[in-house]
Amino acid sequence: MDIQVLASGSRGNCYRVTDGKTALLLECGIPFPQILKSLDYRTSEIEACLLTHEHGDHARAAKDLLRAGVDVYTSAGTARALGFKSHRLRVVQPKTRFTVGSWSILPFDTVHDAAEPLGFLLDSGEERLLFATDTAYLRYRFTKLTHIMLECNYDLEILKANVAAGLVSSEVKRRVLKSHMSLETAKNMLKANDLRRVREIILIHLSDDNGNAQRFKNEIARITGKVVRIA
Amino acid sequence: MATAEKSIALNPIVDNVAKQISALQSEGRLRLPPNYSPENALYSAWLKLQTITDKNGRPALQVCTKESITNALLDMVIQGLSPAKNQCYFIPYGNQLVMQRSYFGTACVTMQVLKTNRPPVAAVIYKGDEFEYVVEAGNKKVTKHVQRLENVKKENIIGAYCTIFPPNHEPYTEIMTIEQIHQAWRQSKMNPFDEKGNLRPDSTHAKFAEEMAKRTVLNRACKMFINSSDDSSLDLVVESFYRSEEAAEEAAFEQEVAANANQEFIEAEWHEKEDEESVEVQEPVDGGNESTQEKPAAKSEPARAESKPMQQPKRRGPSF
Repeated sequence: MDIQVLASGSRGNCYRVTDGKTALLLECGIPFPQILKSLDYRTSEIEACLLTHEHGDHARAAKDLLRAGVDVYTSAGTARALGFKSHRLRVVQPKTRFTVGSWSILPFDTVHDAAEPLGFLLDSGEERLLFATDTAYLRYRFTKLTHIMLECNYDLEILKANVAAGLVSSEVKRRVLKSHMSLETAKNMLKANDLRRVREIILIHLSDDNGNAQRFKNEIARITGKVVRIA
Repeated sequence: MATAEKSIALNPIVDNVAKQISALQSEGRLRLPPNYSPENALYSAWLKLQTITDKNGRPALQVCTKESITNALLDMVIQGLSPAKNQCYFIPYGNQLVMQRSYFGTACVTMQVLKTNRPPVAAVIYKGDEFEYVVEAGNKKVTKHVQRLENVKKENIIGAYCTIFPPNHEPYTEIMTIEQIHQAWRQSKMNPFDEKGNLRPDSTHAKFAEEMAKRTVLNRACKMFINSSDDSSLDLVVESFYRSEEAAEEAAFEQEVAANANQEFIEAEWHEKEDEESVEVQEPVDGGNESTQEKPAAKSEPARAESKPMQQPKRRGPSF
């Protein structure tokens, strides 16, 4: 499995993942030309895009992708919230598997202030990728994961200090708290799951203001003993 | 009474709070309302705290951290609130005790900030009411509200408003439609709506819709004034007003995460197929997280038990 980070964070999220047979985009929250450039203009190689929710930093290029002939898979709520129709906009149900090329994909519900946000569990052969972003926490536990892309957005202490210093408003803090994953919650998630087969953990959607990439990486590596990459 | 007073005075937490309050007062940083007695408020809070238990029935004073109890009591006194007058109450979330202001409490803090004795008033507007208001330079003014008793049904609520009377100023009115009120409820930590967007009939918001609507509009109106206070002797009160709200939200949210995160194993059947081939070979018996994990999902159990009864003992923990 090859995971390429095109962009990660509140300014835009887009990842390319391939099992060698079928290439997918996870999110499309950057300008379309930027996606094209990152993919060496070979959109035809992309079989589909999986979209977690409608916010701009995840869905910005959805319309362009659909026009370019790429199917976009998302929830009914997200499709509605996007506000446009296309026969390529494919609606999937949480906890109901679907297949795209060589991938079998299980969407599941997440905890975010969007219409109907999803996370995805992607299987190809013996490999299993968990993709979970923009979620205050995960309700579920997963088995036999080999790759994990997990949001690790903020550290509560840093966030509180920023509020106290007037850099972040209380409103923003409230929103972050209820819709993004903290370092602490990410740690607890990793502790609660069976990581024996995990080869790589990629921490995604870090906040520039309320996070600390190096410390997050070190702390997650220490508790999991796994290779940790920051997107 | 004498015994109770003695015990409260001897309680190190209450004693500590009382000392911190005296220090703030003597430094001139805190000016409590003249008719407010911190001792009485602390005494009645302490009595209430003895009776409060968490959702598992354990006494709050045993499960909650001393620091959270101290902060809850400090916030109560700084805001000049009294539990005996139902201006605030205490809730344990996990090991955090939080002080929650009631609707009366918010009104009381607002009166303190505005230095007025006239309480804010809130009212509900029902379908069929004659309700008129004008907007003058951005300020709303209710010019007519005639209500008929037969309109007063909670399913007929179309809005609510609250008027505040700042001394030497025009009264200030906040009006909210029922949609705006519902939106505020959706964003509250007790979101009373179900997944389909219907108000849960057993929720406090459904049962006491009028009171909850008044509370929502009153909170919004009062916050306008608390935000705009320019009296520095009230800084501590304003700070505490928000700090206690944030502490309550954080604690409630932490409890939600603790209760819901990483619970349910996802999709039993899918893993079932894989286990048939791989459970023996690929899962070394090294314990791992399995001790904390649930039994295999029940719904996939019968088919397996029937077809491969011998494999059952091999199945452990997370493999569905």
